[in-house]
Amino acid sequence: MAQTHGVAALPAEPEKATLEGKNKLLAFWTFLGAECVLFGCLFATFMALRNQVPDGPTAQELFDLKTVGWSTFLLLTSSLTSVFAIMNMHKGKHGATQLWLAVTVLLGLGFLILEIDEFTHYVHEGHKFTSSAFGTSFYTLVGCHGAHVTFGIIWITTLILQGFKKGLTVVTAPKYYVAALYWHFVDLVWVFIFTVVYLMGKVGH
Amino acid sequence: MANAHAHAHAAVHHEPKRYTGLMDWLTTVDHKKIGILYLIAGGFFFLIGGLEAILIRTQLMYPDQKIFVGDTFNQLTTMHGTTMIFFAAMPLLFAFMNAVVPLQIGARDVAFPFVNALGFWLFFAGGVLMNTSWFLGGAPDAGWTAYAPLSSIIDPDGKFHGVDFYVLGLQIAGIGTLIGGINFLVTIINMRAPGMTFMRMPLFTWTVFVTSILITFAFPAITVALIELMFDRLFHGAFFEASRGGNNVLWEHLFWIFGHPEVYILIMPAFGIISEVVSTFSKKRLFGYSSMVFATVLIGFLSFMVWVHHMFTTGIGAVGNSIFAIATMAIAVPTGVKIFNWLFTLWGGNIRFTVANLFATAFIPTFVMGGVTGVMLAVPAADFQYHDTYFVVAHFHYVIVGGLILSVFAGLYYWWPKMFGRMLSEGLGKVHFWLFFIGFHLTFFPQHFLGLMGLPRRYFTYMPGFGLETGNFISTIGAFLQGLGMIVFLINIIVTARKQKDAGNDPWDGFTLEWTIPSPAPEYNFKQTPLVRGLDAFWKEKMAGNKEMTPAEPIGPIHMPSPSILPFVMSLGLFISGYGFIYHHYIVSGAGLVITIISMFLRSLFDDHGWHIEPEELEEHKGGKA
Amino acid sequence: MSEHTHEAVSDESKRHKHEGPRNHNLTYIVSALLTIFAFAAVLYGQLDRTFIILFIVVLGLIQAVFQLFFWMHAKEKGHFFPVIGIAFGFFIALTAVAAAVWWMWW
Repeated sequence: MAQTHGVAALPAEPEKATLEGKNKLLAFWTFLGAECVLFGCLFATFMALRNQVPDGPTAQELFDLKTVGWSTFLLLTSSLTSVFAIMNMHKGKHGATQLWLAVTVLLGLGFLILEIDEFTHYVHEGHKFTSSAFGTSFYTLVGCHGAHVTFGIIWITTLILQGFKKGLTVVTAPKYYVAALYWHFVDLVWVFIFTVVYLMGKVGH
Repeated sequence: MANAHAHAHAAVHHEPKRYTGLMDWLTTVDHKKIGILYLIAGGFFFLIGGLEAILIRTQLMYPDQKIFVGDTFNQLTTMHGTTMIFFAAMPLLFAFMNAVVPLQIGARDVAFPFVNALGFWLFFAGGVLMNTSWFLGGAPDAGWTAYAPLSSIIDPDGKFHGVDFYVLGLQIAGIGTLIGGINFLVTIINMRAPGMTFMRMPLFTWTVFVTSILITFAFPAITVALIELMFDRLFHGAFFEASRGGNNVLWEHLFWIFGHPEVYILIMPAFGIISEVVSTFSKKRLFGYSSMVFATVLIGFLSFMVWVHHMFTTGIGAVGNSIFAIATMAIAVPTGVKIFNWLFTLWGGNIRFTVANLFATAFIPTFVMGGVTGVMLAVPAADFQYHDTYFVVAHFHYVIVGGLILSVFAGLYYWWPKMFGRMLSEGLGKVHFWLFFIGFHLTFFPQHFLGLMGLPRRYFTYMPGFGLETGNFISTIGAFLQGLGMIVFLINIIVTARKQKDAGNDPWDGFTLEWTIPSPAPEYNFKQTPLVRGLDAFWKEKMAGNKEMTPAEPIGPIHMPSPSILPFVMSLGLFISGYGFIYHHYIVSGAGLVITIISMFLRSLFDDHGWHIEPEELEEHKGGKA
Repeated sequence: MSEHTHEAVSDESKRHKHEGPRNHNLTYIVSALLTIFAFAAVLYGQLDRTFIILFIVVLGLIQAVFQLFFWMHAKEKGHFFPVIGIAFGFFIALTAVAAAVWWMWW
């Protein structure tokens, strides 16, 4: 069925061409609104407990801004590459769409590796999930973001792969678009994580 | 709309996959059937919760009784509250949302039929998971609010897992509710029939719209709260443990940031039902429609700004208490607007006291009483006196039973013909009404005074000689009467189900689109999407001398989504995984999650092209009109 | 449904206005600069603590708005409900954070 749709037959914004596509986009935006509240509550928890370190290293002693800087750079760039993917999708270039999404996934993987490395390092320093309320809230907030990155990587990889079989259609276009929105959102949350968790942690109290 | 679907899928004609019997119900994505599933499941849990209430009242009938003491009583109160809020009231409202909203806006289905089914099965999995705790070492016993650190206590012997059932059950059901909310939000925004502008939507649809917004933005808060409690209980986290710097007030904040909008999630659709019923049976259009809409939106917004009034005695200080007290009292203003609008709708109307209208008119004074005690509780200084007494119990039962449940019954008698094609018996209905209404007031009116006399809530007994005997005795008698009323209602359902289908398209002389189509509604709802020419679309046509709606499209093939077992399997996966977490068998939880994830992959990989109902089949359908 | 097809056609002509890489690259540069400023403010360490916290939070918010409107296309038409939704979600998140900061941390 996918083959019957030539590239030329695709409308300008294929993600909004059908009612299903429009519904999907609106639902996903609404879901992102709900995610705002989810992360807001996790941030609230972290704000309330960030200085609760009975013993063990504090945020100021622990955090290394160099790693955080690299993580930020990777994620920010991956957000840009997913924009490129959608731009190419709008031009009807399916191969370029998949390619840019693949770059996005690789950058996301890089971010994830840095994060795992960072967590391992912290655990060796004595900053564990169970060691203090600061530890518990830190790993829950940053870990929840990491889980979102992981889910995004799996999701976008699935889309790239099924793209080879299905091509770019009014059915697959909303999927690409929505996945890109998700990826931007995950990057957006990271902006607040490096600000509130790492930078404010470095400032101390 | 059908045309667009057809184009989108290059008009591929697929043979419809049809199941019968049990398989039909497990795989259905039809919103009307899902509505019935919600009604059955919600009704079932309502009966369980009601039974628990009767056991509680039996224990409290006389002073110093020892029928259900200590932990058993705690489990009864906890399960009564949790079951009634999450597994009875919520699904009963979702039943109406599913059965009515797509019909009221002239849509063929909801925006996401698959997600709709998934939402139901997740709720059901969560409800069943939690209720199995009764047979697996004991039910949750930390109150429906599960305040930490009481709720984070772990049984050292590892036998009692009550609160784990609470955490996992609510988490699974909560995901279902959240996606249900998003689904209805999108449905109402994107799927309205031509001409159905926002300010022409029936008030029930408006209230469901606002409720869906509240669900979407309130449920993530309890998701986070439950995750934190789960991490503390299962993985030795420190969120609520003071010795490692945790803070148990955090739970209260998160719970009530969700919890207060939650009670408005419950009451909003009730307001919608009352608006529909009161105006239909007064033969008058709703008084002050636009002020009703404005009040609904305002109440919805304010509901997020008042959660601290549940925490006045936590010690957050005079400034915080005052701000939230004023915000709380402010809600009385839009609610009062609604009360007056209903009264003015009745005023001078041609009132018919059908059972639906009996429940609706009984709702108005009952809800006002609950509202008045609400404003009393909103005064922090006075709240220190009322806090955790039976005064609070009386208040929230007046708004939830007297508000929500009375309107659910009004809605059931009103929409039963549209859902099942049969009219409920009015005679038995009146017996049901009077037993339930009198029983309700007997149960909860004395509790105001018991509370003011100092009887604390959640205690399993009281001593003789403090003047508490009479009130408690009357209260228990009232509970029995409500139980009798429910039995009469069940008899009514059975009697109705056994008779021939007797409901016409429009048994009540209604105003809105659901009354323009056959009862029960055909699978595709509208043979032709109707053109809406004003508020109360059907009434408008009736006034213009038309018998039916003007169609907005020619008769054509109608696109239908395929049934699927995946929603059931996904929920089953999470259900299994829930037990894995509760019993710390992480291989089981992993396996359950894998089932769910594989189902998600299958859903993503294989596109559902659906199938079409051809115009010839439409002509054959007995409900169809040429 | 016919109105949607019209929309698609009129979008075609407007598309080129916002669909160039320029705005997206610009957003990237702005985001990177804002991030660098925030890191620099903390690393410099000579400033008042409250000022730094307010400064970096404001920079984060500006970056968020930029990405939301350009990368997530929220400034384009048909995004009324999405913007309302995100704004309301953010507002409630902010309420929760404010409560935590006011009563439990500060």
